[in-house]
Amino acid sequence: MVIRIAAVGDVHLDQDVVGRFRPALEELSGNADALLLAGDLTRHGTEDEARCVAQEFGGLDVPVIAVLGNHDHQCDQVPRVVGALEEAGIVVLEGDGVVLDCPGGRLGVAGVKGFGGGFAGRCASDFGEPEMKAFVRTTTESADRLGEALRSLDCDLLVALTHYSPVPDTLAGEPLEIYPFLGCYQLGQAIDSAPTALALHGHAHHGSERGTTPGGVRVRNVAHPVIKQAYSIFELGDHLDQAQVSGVGAGGIQQPWS
Amino acid sequence: MTAHRDRGAGPPDEYVEAEIHRLLTEDPAVAEQGITVVRTERALVLYGEVESGHRRDEILRRVSERFPDVPITSDIGVIRKQAPTEIEQLP
Repeated sequence: MVIRIAAVGDVHLDQDVVGRFRPALEELSGNADALLLAGDLTRHGTEDEARCVAQEFGGLDVPVIAVLGNHDHQCDQVPRVVGALEEAGIVVLEGDGVVLDCPGGRLGVAGVKGFGGGFAGRCASDFGEPEMKAFVRTTTESADRLGEALRSLDCDLLVALTHYSPVPDTLAGEPLEIYPFLGCYQLGQAIDSAPTALALHGHAHHGSERGTTPGGVRVRNVAHPVIKQAYSIFELGDHLDQAQVSGVGAGGIQQPWS
Repeated sequence: MTAHRDRGAGPPDEYVEAEIHRLLTEDPAVAEQGITVVRTERALVLYGEVESGHRRDEILRRVSERFPDVPITSDIGVIRKQAPTEIEQLP
């Protein structure tokens, strides 16, 4: 079984940058089974910007699955943003999942935007003022929905897609003081509640690429400023030697690999 | 927005740093959360990466417009957008 997943987040599209990603996206065909978008697709979350996203990421030869990010909520037009993306064939997840039949097996993707809150031992608690309780309950409910979605999918390979980070590892490079605004441990707990093979997120522009959940699930920060390329490609499969864990294929995406 | 007293020729103060940081996110013409503002002895330095040269120019224009007396240095880059040349294998 071999499944290849392309992913990027935080592309912040608007009219001024439409077309920037397209040449690289045209190379996806044959090199990836799906493209996952980890939120912050737009600058301000307007319907017009969502149409730019639809133009840039629609009509590709591979399925495109997305979650929204905090920027995509800025103008309170979420239903219209989602509508514009869906019109272009982009699947938008928020507490649900999808299973794709790929040549290498069934790829299950569960997604949620997620929220902040902080990480174990240094996080916000559901206590005190109504505003604080509402904040933490938003976090908890979001993570609960992700966990339920992950556990509900019948597939060969399970991937979690979020905007906020499920672990602090991939935030390395960000100021410690803002970690609670960048992710929460509850997302990691949800990911560890299912047989997840890979977790992808964005949001942390100054973070780093690689981490793992406490349960051992690989986590990758695919925010565009972090990966510094149009998208990253991850190859998952039981054909690979365990010694190659996190190894990097050297052939380039236009060459075959095994 | 808080008014600032004249700081003369001294370095920008911490409150200016905070306001510029918020402006970068809250000004609709900028809306960038990934720009870091670092206060040095002589100026405020803006670090980070954006999706286009136009957005970088707009950041500098808006900050200079709002804080004409604050010396600003920019080290903002434009993120590359080429297809990857390598894949990561995850057994």
